[in-house]
Amino acid sequence: MDTDLLSDTFVDLADTMVADFDVIDFLHVLTDRSVRLLAASAAGVLLADPRGELRVAAASSEQVGLLELFQLQNDQGPCLDCFRTGQPVTADLAARAQQWPRFAQAATQSGFRTVQALPMRLRDQVIGALNLFRAEQSPFDPAELRIGQALADVATIGLLHQQNVRRRETLAERLQAALNSRVAIEQAKGKLAERLGIDMDQAFSMLRAHARSSSQRLTDVARAFVDSATADFPPPPRR
Amino acid sequence: MTDSRAVVLWGEVAAHAASQGRRASVADVCAVACRSARLDGSWLAAARNGEPDFLMCVTDLVGEQLAELQLTLGDGPAHDVLASAAPVLAADLDDEEFSRRWPAFTPAARRLGAGAVFVFPLIVGAIRAGVLGLYRTSAAPLQDGQLGDLLILAETATVMLLDSGRDHAENGNGNGVGLDGQAPDLALHRIEIDQATGMLTVQLGVPVAAAFARLRAYAYAQDRRLADVAADIVARRLRLHRDPGQDGGS
Repeated sequence: MDTDLLSDTFVDLADTMVADFDVIDFLHVLTDRSVRLLAASAAGVLLADPRGELRVAAASSEQVGLLELFQLQNDQGPCLDCFRTGQPVTADLAARAQQWPRFAQAATQSGFRTVQALPMRLRDQVIGALNLFRAEQSPFDPAELRIGQALADVATIGLLHQQNVRRRETLAERLQAALNSRVAIEQAKGKLAERLGIDMDQAFSMLRAHARSSSQRLTDVARAFVDSATADFPPPPRR
Repeated sequence: MTDSRAVVLWGEVAAHAASQGRRASVADVCAVACRSARLDGSWLAAARNGEPDFLMCVTDLVGEQLAELQLTLGDGPAHDVLASAAPVLAADLDDEEFSRRWPAFTPAARRLGAGAVFVFPLIVGAIRAGVLGLYRTSAAPLQDGQLGDLLILAETATVMLLDSGRDHAENGNGNGVGLDGQAPDLALHRIEIDQATGMLTVQLGVPVAAAFARLRAYAYAQDRRLADVAADIVARRLRLHRDPGQDGGS
């Protein structure tokens, strides 16, 4: 374990949690750092909405195939099992073809052999999962899993940012806000990808770079661009 | 499991409409929402220019007054939910948090007899269609199943509003009736639907709400699943045309 990288990661994450930070952007940073820190090939955060549906909140790459792997787990896969049991799930994909036929096949086709899901918990409730993939057939070791779980816990804290969690309703309110942000970001990715003839991953990077350089929240940039009457990017300021 | 609950709730909406001798509309969604979560009344307001200021239906006088109050005062949960894209679940209006957040609305709502207010954004990403508000006279939280049902019903109302077209909502002719009164395709939570909606704003040169409505109308006309049509658009296997007539039936 690279301890410098570990401390840098937590410093980065803490730096991101400034006043009024964007939770989806924060979770994106978290998945990105998880990949580097845990020698993973890809990572994602799935959140469970109050209907029990697992939805993609953030991913280390916005490639369509990877996002589909997260989406598939609403029906089957390690994150669904992790969400239902509240326990981490470690899996060699080759050994789970019977258990998760669609997921295992899609993940294998994407070049992954090992998958890990770690629960995001708030008190006695599981609110989502951090999902890690490796191209190699090599399970995450106990030290890595402890770090991974710490990252999953930080993701939960980020989701509840600045909120008084005194009321039990706060979590449901925050979850819906985060999921709605994600939808606006996807709409903005689509608009930008179509406008410039680029792929969704490139569109996401541009949106994020503009949010950073203009000190705006990613969600606000996405909403303003989708709402804009033109497809110019960045959108002209509103009158 | 989620899908089946949506089907059950849609059945209740359709049955309520039939009992009133009409096609299903957002008014039926309001009625079913009250019944399913054991609440005393509700209202639904469509948004124009980001403000939930077009009252489309109410189930009772208190619900109507709560809605009107927020329009008059300019504060209250309906404004918050559109701004934050998150529901407001105020299970106990006597909680000091709420008198701090809405100094004008909260005491007035208490005087009207509301003990708890739950307001849901009718939002799809950047599309703000309106708000669904509900109240009960006593202070009590929603149970988990009730919250899930209300989220499904809020989505149902959202697609009914958007499918019926914003123009109708704005000139008061529409009542939020979905495509031919059919059960709306509620498989909304697929990112390719959101991405395709964004792409269509450019392909069709229309606002995002209209792009969303066209995507749904196309899938309906072709008798295909919304997510499949969206995936074709994202993969650039399918383009829609500015003139819907050119989209063809092939």
